[in-house]
Amino acid sequence: MNLNEFWDYLIPGISLGALYAVIAIGYTLVYGVLQLINFAHSEVFMVGAFAALLVFTKIEPSNPSGLMSVGLVALGFAVSGLAGAGTAFALEKVAYKPLRVRNAPRLAFLISAIGASFFLTHIAGKLFGRDPKPIPDLFVNKKVFEIFGARVSVLQLIMVGAAIVMMIGLDLLVNRTKMGMGIRAVAQDAETAGLMGVDINKVISRTFVIGGLLGGCAGFLFGLNSQVTYTMGFFPGITAFAAAVLGGIGNIRGAMIGGMVLGIVESFSAWQFGDEWRYVSAFAVLILVLMFRPTGILGERLGRTA
Amino acid sequence: MIKIALPVVASALVLSACGSDDKDDDASSNPGGGNKPTYTIGFQGGLTGKNAQLGINEANGVKLAIEQANAKGDLPFKLEVKTSDDEASPDKSQSAAQKLIDDGNVVAVVGPAFSGPTKAASPNYAAAKLATLTPSATNPSLTAPANKFTALLRGTPNDNMQGSGMATYYAKKLKLKTVLLIDDKSEYGIGLAAVAKADLEKAGITVKTESIPQGTPDYTAAATTVKNSGADGMIYAGYYQDGAPFAKKLKEAGVSIPMISGDGTNDPEFIKLAGAAADNWYLTCPCADANVEEATKKFAADYKAKFNEPAGTYSAESFDLANMIIEQMKTFGAEKITREALLNKLKAAEYKGLTKSFKFDQNGEYVGGAIFLYQVKAGKIEYLGDIDKLSAA
Amino acid sequence: MSSVTTKTREPEASFSATSLAKLRHKPWYKSDAFRRLVMCVLLGVLFTIMTGEQAGDDVFYSLNDSLTNWPWLGTWVAVAVGIWALITFHSYLLGNPALSPVHKVIKDATAEVKKVTPVLGRREVKWPLIIALVVVLALLPTWVSGFWNQVMVNEIAVYVLLAIGLNVVVGWAGLLDLGFIAFFAIGAYSAAYWTGKLPVSPPVELTPFLVIPVAVLTCLVAGVLLGAPTLRLRGDYLAIVTLGFHEIIYLLATNADEFTNGPAGVQGVPHPTLDLGFWSYEWTTTDLEQYWWMIMVIAGILIFLFLRLEHSKVGRAWTAIREDEVAAAANGVNTVKYKLMAFAIGASTSGIAGVVMASKVQFVSPASFELMFSVLVLAYVIFGGMGSIWGVMLGTAFLAWLPQILKDYVDEQDRHMYLGAILVIMMIFRPQGLIPSRRRKRELNLAKEGLGDADAMTEPVGGRVS
Repeated sequence: MNLNEFWDYLIPGISLGALYAVIAIGYTLVYGVLQLINFAHSEVFMVGAFAALLVFTKIEPSNPSGLMSVGLVALGFAVSGLAGAGTAFALEKVAYKPLRVRNAPRLAFLISAIGASFFLTHIAGKLFGRDPKPIPDLFVNKKVFEIFGARVSVLQLIMVGAAIVMMIGLDLLVNRTKMGMGIRAVAQDAETAGLMGVDINKVISRTFVIGGLLGGCAGFLFGLNSQVTYTMGFFPGITAFAAAVLGGIGNIRGAMIGGMVLGIVESFSAWQFGDEWRYVSAFAVLILVLMFRPTGILGERLGRTA
Repeated sequence: MIKIALPVVASALVLSACGSDDKDDDASSNPGGGNKPTYTIGFQGGLTGKNAQLGINEANGVKLAIEQANAKGDLPFKLEVKTSDDEASPDKSQSAAQKLIDDGNVVAVVGPAFSGPTKAASPNYAAAKLATLTPSATNPSLTAPANKFTALLRGTPNDNMQGSGMATYYAKKLKLKTVLLIDDKSEYGIGLAAVAKADLEKAGITVKTESIPQGTPDYTAAATTVKNSGADGMIYAGYYQDGAPFAKKLKEAGVSIPMISGDGTNDPEFIKLAGAAADNWYLTCPCADANVEEATKKFAADYKAKFNEPAGTYSAESFDLANMIIEQMKTFGAEKITREALLNKLKAAEYKGLTKSFKFDQNGEYVGGAIFLYQVKAGKIEYLGDIDKLSAA
Repeated sequence: MSSVTTKTREPEASFSATSLAKLRHKPWYKSDAFRRLVMCVLLGVLFTIMTGEQAGDDVFYSLNDSLTNWPWLGTWVAVAVGIWALITFHSYLLGNPALSPVHKVIKDATAEVKKVTPVLGRREVKWPLIIALVVVLALLPTWVSGFWNQVMVNEIAVYVLLAIGLNVVVGWAGLLDLGFIAFFAIGAYSAAYWTGKLPVSPPVELTPFLVIPVAVLTCLVAGVLLGAPTLRLRGDYLAIVTLGFHEIIYLLATNADEFTNGPAGVQGVPHPTLDLGFWSYEWTTTDLEQYWWMIMVIAGILIFLFLRLEHSKVGRAWTAIREDEVAAAANGVNTVKYKLMAFAIGASTSGIAGVVMASKVQFVSPASFELMFSVLVLAYVIFGGMGSIWGVMLGTAFLAWLPQILKDYVDEQDRHMYLGAILVIMMIFRPQGLIPSRRRKRELNLAKEGLGDADAMTEPVGGRVS
């Protein structure tokens, strides 16, 4: 176990963890206000990636560099974020709200979300093909930095940077703004919040949109890092959900920590045991942590802790 | 909400009613030809589930072959195609097979696509004496006589040949000392890797093994593993869908050792996905240069015209196998074609297709099969030649 | 948070004078009718896309093609707008949507069902009905084609066994299990191991029937092993841990090549044989009916046992735990014991299904145990109506049958898209499942009247919305 290798594996772990954290926030936010696993969030992530793919296929950037690259990446974020937000919004309206109105039991929501997830996955496969697609290069500058002897690519910097910006922004949004207060109020006690004049439906809708925005952006980053496929959401989604639970579901800062932990655990297990044991280690860590802290690292509930 | 949700259901009902009549399958659209008998060629493979694209490629290859055969108009019978989706899952495979077996018109089947479903369904096909010609199930144990898979004919060299081809090239031509062998944990990948490993070790090469399963979220760690392994050559036993992002990360990590992969990666899509990172990869294939001959070009163009996508991995192989079946069916002339008779004819038949010559031994194993080597150069897959000849030189 | 509110809810969808007045003040684009129109048009477009061409090389191909296919698009949008007009103007014309013929039909039908249901429950009606049903089911394989026979055994019956087991865990004990297929895998691999087909050889080789008790035992232990560390967890934490457990088992099967032969799988698990001394029988590849009857017998025994269990002390303890774990514990229910028991019983049922599957298919590989199947089997249970054995069986049969029948009507690649849509629609209109258990129905009715919650143990989702 030499130190150089340690950094070599830590850095991809951090960049992957950052992505997981961003997706996990989507799960956690929805859990915070609805106490529901939004099983279809992984498809929001996939739609974000496809939106970026479509736009860049249309634009066909050729050897972009400098400001052009910055612009393209920004465009990618905007498009995928919007697509993600739109999908999440529609998802809430179609697969959740009708059930909410009918006071459906909680598991019905889970199944409805699973159905929506199936639907979105396979309609994307039908529409855009079942073969993976590459997002064209957005920057020719593939400069690699050295940190402690380990390689850090531009893309990894973007991934971590974007994740940090999004997380700080979200933290401010939830803790400092009126809208955030509404979200926290609903998370704490929906009924009372409703009585106090908070429009619960709007808050829920907005929560989905925020989660979708982040999920879509994460999808774009993920697609940039590898490729875009219709089934790409499933496993990152499951892992991010695990990350959210690990950190304490419903807790935004918990989701960030959980994502990071799982990303790093996965990367280190790829180093120590081989890539095929990634998820085994991740889930083993999750189970171990939950055995000793049944509500995750930071404990649950948006309203109380964050 | 009832008001909004009602139209959903109502339209869904209308949809299910209308959905059925616009789905005329390609085969039935051929012009009626008097009172010729109609026969069906089946296809079984995973059209959904893992690696669905491969199943779709194969199904399309079969459809194209049948459409062209019908269009020629010299057949003493009419042909139809029937696809049966096994979701690439062994426990769904038996019912998918039974669907084809039940249809008395089905005289031969192309498929099943993968080794697992093949193992599950072959006893059923054997009992029905329905010939199955698989274009892509490469697990060596399939044709073991003890299985009694008497109706299975393998239309592709098994993993043994490709794996040893790779090993030969590394040992004799490039004279490497340590080789890193990576499989993708698919049936195809581990089969190929196991054979390559045995042959490399036989040649006195130190082998390190790693597994990088399909759908790994990030290949950076894997690329680092390759970089730090100290190996002077790498074999990737897997499909291009995962090989491509892996190649990208390898390039980013600055890995420049020789890299070789099998027919699962030998696909133009590999280059499309990996871009410049695909350069210098060696690719093996049991198929001779598929890009030069007139017939192959025509196949590629026809395929593109019909399905709006270029022919993918195993499309041409399935096309060949379907044509092989059709050729044998023609030998019946006006006679009624029975499954058993066709199976017996196919067992003894020889057919020169677009990709290679097909012939089977008494166990249904593919006979012959040189392995050819290709290399990606400047965004194109270039033909290098027969791997044994290259290594001998 | 109080779980009981006294707030009464406005009756839905009624155009009372006040609501009409409200409607008048809304801008036109906010009116219900307009929103519905937008929704309908969007749905029309969606259906056009759903039924359009498969994707091509160009990522835009399918989208372009279906959105420029004017006759097709026009038809769907017209249908959608037509439906919109029908619904909208119907209610305007009649003034009360409750009088629309659709409502009347639904109402009449429910009234009929309500009239019939209590009759069905009567002993002299119930038993002949059950016997008739069993006879029909037993004769079923002789009427249908070989394909449907295969589907009935491999895809329906095996999953019905699984669903019966999962129903104990989810429906009765209220433990959300997203990793149930892990036990199915353990059962199947036990069968492969004890018949000597794995790379590691067993101490003694058994026939599949003898493997069943061994597999049951193995799964019992596995169930307790999974259950023990998760006892402190509730609801969704449990879901992710069970999901993780599944993934670990699945990856062990995939990666531990030297024990399980990895993704290549193990081949040649023998068919079951029965030797009663005076009469022996061996199942074969082509004996589809015999497999069906075998599973019917197994399922029959399980159903009998489970129904007894449901109405026993154990069943009541599960109900208590499901409704309110703390209260149950306070009243002296040994929650640890009963939760473990639920896990163990569910797991061992799954193990039986695994053995049956392994010896029917004669081949075991990780591809049969992907995470998706764990999710699906949970969907089957809830779709059918969790807590009710009959509902669960019907739900499984329906959802396993659906993709097969869809093969004949839609592109095979798209079947899961339709399956997903049906799950959503079903949950919107019948969240309690096809045949809900009696207790559940009562809870839901209470929830509708605002007197309680659909789930007694938790607060309602997102508070009450009106």
